[in-house]
Amino acid sequence: METTARSPRAGLTRGGRRAFVGRTTTSPADAATWSRRQTIATELRAVRGRAYPRVRAALREKSWVLFEIMLPFLSTSAFVFVYRALQAPPEYVGFVVLGGAMAAFWLNVIWMMAAQLYWEKDQGNLELYFAAPMDLMSVLFGMALGGLFMSSTRAIVVLAIATVLYGVTFSVDQWLLLGAVFVLTLGALYGLGMILASLFLAWGREAWHLTQALMEPVYFVSGLNFPVARLGLLGAVAVAVVPLAVGLDAMRQLAFSGSAAPAGVVAAPIEALILAGMTVVFIWLARWSLRSLEQRARRDGRLTVRWR
Amino acid sequence: MTAPGLARSTTPVVAGGGPMAVVRSFLAAARIGWAVDANWTDPVLFLVYLVAKPVSAALILVVMVQVVSGGRAGALTSFVVVGSALWSTVTAGISGLSWSVLDDRERYRMLKYLYVSPSDFLLLLMGRGVGRIAVGGLGAVVTLVVGVVALGVEFDPGRVDWPLLLVALPMGLVAIVALALILAAVCLQTRQDAWSYPEAAAGALFLVTGAVFPLAVLPSPLQAIGLLTPLTWWVAGMRAAMFPDSPSSLGGDGSLFARLAGHAVPGSIEIVVALLATGAVSTLAALAVFRLSERRAKDRGLFDQTTGS
Amino acid sequence: MSAPASPATASPPASPATASPPASPATASPATASPPAIDARGVRRVYKAKPKDVVALDGVDPEVAPGEFFGLLGPNGAGKTTLIKILTTLLLPTSGSARVFGFDVARETKQIRRLMNIVSGGEQSGYGILTVREQLWMFTQFYGLPGRQGWQRVDELIEAVGVGEQRDQRVSTLSTGQRQKMNFARGLLNDPWVLFLDEPTLGLDVAAARSVRELVVDWKAAVPGRTILLTTHYMAEADELCERIAIVDRGRILAIGTPAELKRRVQRDSIFRLELDRLDAGPAALGRLPGVVSAVTAGGNDGDGVERQTVVVNLALADDAALGPVVGALGGLGAHIVALAKSEPSLEDVFVELVGRGFAEEASTDRTGSDDDQRDRAEVA
Repeated sequence: METTARSPRAGLTRGGRRAFVGRTTTSPADAATWSRRQTIATELRAVRGRAYPRVRAALREKSWVLFEIMLPFLSTSAFVFVYRALQAPPEYVGFVVLGGAMAAFWLNVIWMMAAQLYWEKDQGNLELYFAAPMDLMSVLFGMALGGLFMSSTRAIVVLAIATVLYGVTFSVDQWLLLGAVFVLTLGALYGLGMILASLFLAWGREAWHLTQALMEPVYFVSGLNFPVARLGLLGAVAVAVVPLAVGLDAMRQLAFSGSAAPAGVVAAPIEALILAGMTVVFIWLARWSLRSLEQRARRDGRLTVRWR
Repeated sequence: MTAPGLARSTTPVVAGGGPMAVVRSFLAAARIGWAVDANWTDPVLFLVYLVAKPVSAALILVVMVQVVSGGRAGALTSFVVVGSALWSTVTAGISGLSWSVLDDRERYRMLKYLYVSPSDFLLLLMGRGVGRIAVGGLGAVVTLVVGVVALGVEFDPGRVDWPLLLVALPMGLVAIVALALILAAVCLQTRQDAWSYPEAAAGALFLVTGAVFPLAVLPSPLQAIGLLTPLTWWVAGMRAAMFPDSPSSLGGDGSLFARLAGHAVPGSIEIVVALLATGAVSTLAALAVFRLSERRAKDRGLFDQTTGS
Repeated sequence: MSAPASPATASPPASPATASPPASPATASPATASPPAIDARGVRRVYKAKPKDVVALDGVDPEVAPGEFFGLLGPNGAGKTTLIKILTTLLLPTSGSARVFGFDVARETKQIRRLMNIVSGGEQSGYGILTVREQLWMFTQFYGLPGRQGWQRVDELIEAVGVGEQRDQRVSTLSTGQRQKMNFARGLLNDPWVLFLDEPTLGLDVAAARSVRELVVDWKAAVPGRTILLTTHYMAEADELCERIAIVDRGRILAIGTPAELKRRVQRDSIFRLELDRLDAGPAALGRLPGVVSAVTAGGNDGDGVERQTVVVNLALADDAALGPVVGALGGLGAHIVALAKSEPSLEDVFVELVGRGFAEEASTDRTGSDDDQRDRAEVA
């Protein structure tokens, strides 16, 4: 006969008992019903909570300073020297530098947001996220925000050092518009990142590989190293659908205003409007996509299947 | 009564040694690496890796050239296409081993089992990374074909320097694997977010190896670093072997090489000797770094840690 | 089929296993004003697979009252984890309905997630680079606790569960037992009204498992109104902890009841092992006493084959109350008691009775594997 004899215990201390009692809700209905304010506060706290491990990890293990900042700076420098070898006009060096800086944010979106849910599933965290009351969008936003620390540092370093080292001269007439375009580009990128995150949830490993494989094609259509207008029709399409393309095109026009370099696909204010529209559409799509894919994942039982 | 399968064998099972065992281990790891990383079961994904990724990388440079030269830079276009094609092998090769370490540690939780198996850990990792190198190599071939067919790269099979090609190619692959080992050693110590490190490293090397622009454009200190890097000699050798009329990536008037060697363009023998010397140094250094990292990982229990954030 | 642990009894064999037998009055949920903590009706879950779909749950209807400690006991692949995943809104039922405190698992997921939490066994989740304290604080944010209050709650719970010394240690360096205690603390952060424990002692050593069980008991004692649903395949764990148990096999609930009720299914009589210095009148003298169903002497050797000097009688009594007169009668028969022990069937005996095979045999003939294996195979197909 099986038995589990209990050893004599003193039982919990008063402190332990108090810890177990926790905060008081009077009934399950009370616990389940949140005010709008409580819901919003939870979402904001969830953003903070998920950003927290990213920031702690970055401060705790600092290899990223070399690999996420210094080496990518050298990579950007390679393209600078391609233009120097071609004896290109100096503003082209500025294009590459700006592209290198913005690439940091794109990589943050792809690796630290879009692919993250796939990795969270592998680690067993995804279940816990779904079982918690916050929205998954808050978690994704927290991931991106946490990664923003590293990507901002990278962007600033690339801009600052490259500007000094390679003599890049910026000529900005509309600072407010430039700032707005930058913020809108990030908004649209994060919205796109959330959509990609939901696709990863649906497609699993294929989506991750696809994104990884499409890095260079995305760089190409985004005009990371050259004005996207040179791609003709493809460039026009890119400006319509790829946030990085339209954001870079607008920022180049604003950061190097009056230069003799090829003009953008359309004027910067119009591209700012395109970005605003993209932000709204992508975030709405992300919300819809995450919810419907969560439903599908719950229906198919995919939430906890690893390696898919 | 013991289940039949669990009955103790009357013949002691001893882990075999010798060269055949080494080959078997490597091939087994290579098969796994190919199965896991090559995505051959998913045609779309396989094609994207094989075609879209490397060709796009080349097209970025082609457009850069076109933007400045307005379509009048035939030789330069060939230069960047060839260099970009070769570089896709470098990127894939460097990523292969590092991602295998991260994959097997964080995702499949298999790294510790590989480590405690009787086969050499280094050999298993190298085999595991072979799949991605193979895909990278195929991608390079596809890019060259696209370059020849659609981008005006001039290629004459009759003028290929086959001896140089057959010597430089394997030596270059050894150098790529050596660099990959160094990155893998780093990834063994770092956390999961190190996925991007191999590409960052490949991007940095892109600057000093003359892949897409002549080394002579760089300041002398950077040229010196380039001349000490085996990949520089590999790219130069492959380019000289396959496209003999292509400008030299590390020579040319005013280059550091010209000042040191006394002549503008390195010959085949020079390339092979330099590749051998730099490759040997890199390989020895990589082995030393890897073993150091392995010892540290063992000391700190890093083989089965998970490090997400 | 393995023999039941209890000695041979005169009671007839139980009827063949049936799905969801009607609850006896003793097992029915007590009438309460609030809705049941868990109310499932005909829950069915089918995974698409080739060549044949996998039926993980086949119409289960457990009802758990608020404040109850309810157990799901069954072998690997029985459907326990599948049911928990449905109740914790991670999985949708293919058909049927389930409610947690009146909230529908399919449509009212947010409400359920606010009042419940889940702790699984063998959980390796978390971020290795964070410390225990940081890891838990992160989760307090997901449940909406203000930052400072979150740290306070974390510190209290860390001490309460016994990982205070590891508070500043990285999660990746914790032992299995410490990690599970940390997971348990995570499960209590939001002060859940219903706590789902999915094999919480899986993979733990004896001491760690005991420690976790004691934490569960202590929590239940500290907040008696809270409900616990525990899944396990450890009989003794279910027997020790649960007020009511549902025995599950192959997606069906075979029986529900308190541990004592379930055991009475296979043994209606009270069995005692009575060791006497002598019994000259023989066991028949005891057999004639009121309330004694049967009295049979055991073999003359003890377990090691050494001839015994005493007489061992296996007594089957109609109920425990009949023991008194038996003990009283022994004096008149010139016998003195050397030892007296009650023999009870185990829950495995109940399972064998219901299914016709034991948990061990279930594992060796397992076609479906664990709940997660079922689902994984279905997904891969």
